[in-house]
Amino acid sequence: MNTESWAPEIARHIDRIVGLGADYVDARHYLQDDAETLVLYDGNLEVNDTASEGGVGVRALVGGAWGFAATSDMDALGACFDQALANARTAALLMAAPLSMGRLPAHRGAYTSPVTVDPFSVSPADKLAFLHAIDQSLRADWIDRRFLTVQLQRRRVRFASSEGTVIDKDLTNAFATMAVMALDGDRRMQRRSHGLYTTGDGTRGWEMVTQPELFSSHAERIKSELAELIKAPALQPGNRSVILLPGQGFLQVHETIGHALELDRILGYELSYAGGSFVRLDDFGRLRYGSDKLTVSSYGGIANSPGTFGYDDDGSPERDYLLIDRGLLVDALSSRTGIHEANARAGRTVFRESGGAARATAFYRAPIDRMTNVNILPGRDGSLEDIVASTADGIVVDNPTSWSIGSNREHFHFGCEIAWEVKDGRRTRVLKDPTYQGHTLDFYRSLSAVGDASTWRLEQVNNCGKGEPNQIMQLGHGVPVVRFDDVITGGRG
Amino acid sequence: MLDEATRDAILKIRDEASARGAAALFRLHRERSHLLRVGNNSVSLNTSEQLTRLDVEVTDGRREGSHTVLGHIAGTETVRAALDIAAAKASVATEKDYEPLTGAVEEPVAHSGQHDPALAELEPAVKADAYRQVMEKVGAHYNYSGSWSSGETELYVVTTANRNEAWQLCTDQYFTVVLKHPEQRWELQATGTGWRAEDLAVDRVVERLQTLLPVYEGQPGLRLEPGPYTVLLGAKALADIAAMAAWTGLGGRGWEEKQGWTSQHKVGDRILGANISLVDDPQNAQTFQNRFDMQGRRRGAFPLVTDGVLAGLMYDQSAAAKYGREPTGHDLYAMSLAMRPGTAPAEALEAVAEMDRVLFIPALHYTHIPNRAEGLFTGSSRFNAVLVERGRVVRPIHSSRITDTFGNVLGNVRALSSATVSVNLSNTYGRRQPVAASVPAYAVVEGVKITDSAESF
Repeated sequence: MNTESWAPEIARHIDRIVGLGADYVDARHYLQDDAETLVLYDGNLEVNDTASEGGVGVRALVGGAWGFAATSDMDALGACFDQALANARTAALLMAAPLSMGRLPAHRGAYTSPVTVDPFSVSPADKLAFLHAIDQSLRADWIDRRFLTVQLQRRRVRFASSEGTVIDKDLTNAFATMAVMALDGDRRMQRRSHGLYTTGDGTRGWEMVTQPELFSSHAERIKSELAELIKAPALQPGNRSVILLPGQGFLQVHETIGHALELDRILGYELSYAGGSFVRLDDFGRLRYGSDKLTVSSYGGIANSPGTFGYDDDGSPERDYLLIDRGLLVDALSSRTGIHEANARAGRTVFRESGGAARATAFYRAPIDRMTNVNILPGRDGSLEDIVASTADGIVVDNPTSWSIGSNREHFHFGCEIAWEVKDGRRTRVLKDPTYQGHTLDFYRSLSAVGDASTWRLEQVNNCGKGEPNQIMQLGHGVPVVRFDDVITGGRG
Repeated sequence: MLDEATRDAILKIRDEASARGAAALFRLHRERSHLLRVGNNSVSLNTSEQLTRLDVEVTDGRREGSHTVLGHIAGTETVRAALDIAAAKASVATEKDYEPLTGAVEEPVAHSGQHDPALAELEPAVKADAYRQVMEKVGAHYNYSGSWSSGETELYVVTTANRNEAWQLCTDQYFTVVLKHPEQRWELQATGTGWRAEDLAVDRVVERLQTLLPVYEGQPGLRLEPGPYTVLLGAKALADIAAMAAWTGLGGRGWEEKQGWTSQHKVGDRILGANISLVDDPQNAQTFQNRFDMQGRRRGAFPLVTDGVLAGLMYDQSAAAKYGREPTGHDLYAMSLAMRPGTAPAEALEAVAEMDRVLFIPALHYTHIPNRAEGLFTGSSRFNAVLVERGRVVRPIHSSRITDTFGNVLGNVRALSSATVSVNLSNTYGRRQPVAASVPAYAVVEGVKITDSAESF
């Protein structure tokens, strides 16, 4: 049976569970959830894998408490709905503050990722030929390791709820990375890498992977940078300016703005695993998160991003709104239950509508608050070279090697693949093993330059982990080149 | 043993693959998982999953392909379809420049020594009631969070290399509760783990939380100045550091490719302190035991570090094939890491009774590796971190970052507990895969580098 064939049966069970006392019920039917992973390591095809999943996940809200159940056996569909109801009834036994989804009018929606060439329609031979061609360009006798990956996803999902809302989604994602490694003068391995990024516009099928300026043309760049890196001295500890290229800036935003502004973390629902947030409900509209050069959006309208999916798993449409407006904290990444609870707790309307950020990684996981596309908007400080030219003492850094964040996102430590020293407005030399650390608010308040639109690009994330049971999510971050001042770099001296 | 219908379907298609000369491995993973999550003194999620995954791997000379189906493994058609997809992928794969090894179940295994039907059938209402008891006994005016994951996992592997079957059925649970002060925002945590329902006792959880409450309620938090400290690492922190050291330094591939922190050493070299011994020991009852790896290879005790000396490197099938080594049974989600206990008192505070000032850091949050070649790791304290003076807990400490090397931390252990505890290291990304380490209850380490401290907990 296809999705349509199961739709009446799913609708019947939704009505049945409401009839048994549920306040709200929804079901996500994954008709297709396919993935393909190819990994070339030193030219050897080490991973040549596909995976296929399908099933239904059911949520029931009873007495303000969630129950969830999932099955891949469509013959057990009714039992799955019953289990979700039973789980909700049990959850309601321990309920201090009942949750509410509010009430939304029924609506019909659909979203399809813009795709010209379905990645799953491309022959394996063509995919491998593409990867081997790049691998050839990564070769050199002084390079010790070469690494190439492609990960492809296609999901077709129908969402149906007891409000009468029905949404069909057909989502395609494509990720690719390349890396080269070589031993430095201390016989320690150094790495340069590049991940497939997007401009935000265009399509996101196989044609995106094969667009040279987004991926393959960077092979020569990372090789030449690695050649400098293995001869470079290490960064010496000290306070200086740090200029983040988008390949590093996206993770800074992800870890210290994105996660910090997830409303479920702020409300305390992630304390047992991922952690909380230093942000409090009273901070919205009042907290100066960064300098006035910092404006951050959650924008579901970016055409070409894994953080664009049309409608979230509450049935809410994605939105385009500001999280931080010229340094002032104004909104959060949220879902329907979260905004009702937050407003009730705060005793005022902190959030007017859901941020459309309820997302689940698979049919067998319940939605939680996730990032969509969390972006720093371009500024007026020109190009990268303009920003370098106005920097007296600093480093330019790119691509993370490590990231470790405080449990409330209040402090952080990052390691990067490469740094370029900046002295008196000029890039002088490459430095290896760069690290920097800081405290979130102090750091963003030291933001002193934001590059213009020419420096902005959308970095794809395919491995954001959160939640219990754990969930991996795909999303995007559009970031320009940014500069922060008086940052602790290279560790404590 | 696996249910007859599923087993018959897999064996029938395995035999078909053999008949057509294919080298294939079939791995069935079946889980019945339940997780109850608590947030803000309420059950925030109560979720049940019944999932079956079938992995099929095909080797065709120097070419390989694999396919996983998560769904209803209804019979031979599903298994055959997965085999056909994997075989088709292998047929068009590019050849490797080395001869791959293929999986083989080395000996028949039917292991259910860590299976408790009572835990497999644990009712969600029992979990909800346990949290209610904790709240009532410790104090309902605090904010409580937590999760209690439990489940049953069945694993079955056969290959075309022989007619052996490897099967394992186990249960596991991991319980956490976090107590947070609603205004002061400090957090305490208690955990429990094991494969039996009886491994979790509410009274022990309550006792752990109540032990530290007076200090947190009565004393302000301490913000540390960066610098070297004597640190009492709790079992969770010790397990995290040991597991990360093993992951980044004791794997054969990383060593061969000079990527790990042991790469400038060889087996027989001293790499850690003489009081540190690490073994991957699937017989250790404080770990979740895997008697065979994902390729069907037999697993036994495998010394990694003995008295500080590098004793062995773990080679999975792929690394072994590429570098001409023997696979060591390490095609795994995770090993059964065991650290040998020491001779110090079992209880941590007793061990530091004569020390003026010690930081007790029971657990690390979000550890990562800024420099793998140096074995440099970083992570911050979270939950129950306190300052101890002459064996007495005196005040809580704020979120503080350790950035140091494995060589320094595991090379300067002054005292190791004579008692070991089980530390759950599982995650629930993808398929259920219980992991636990057996480590001393604490380690006293000198000269640990604190590199940052926050204004808050």
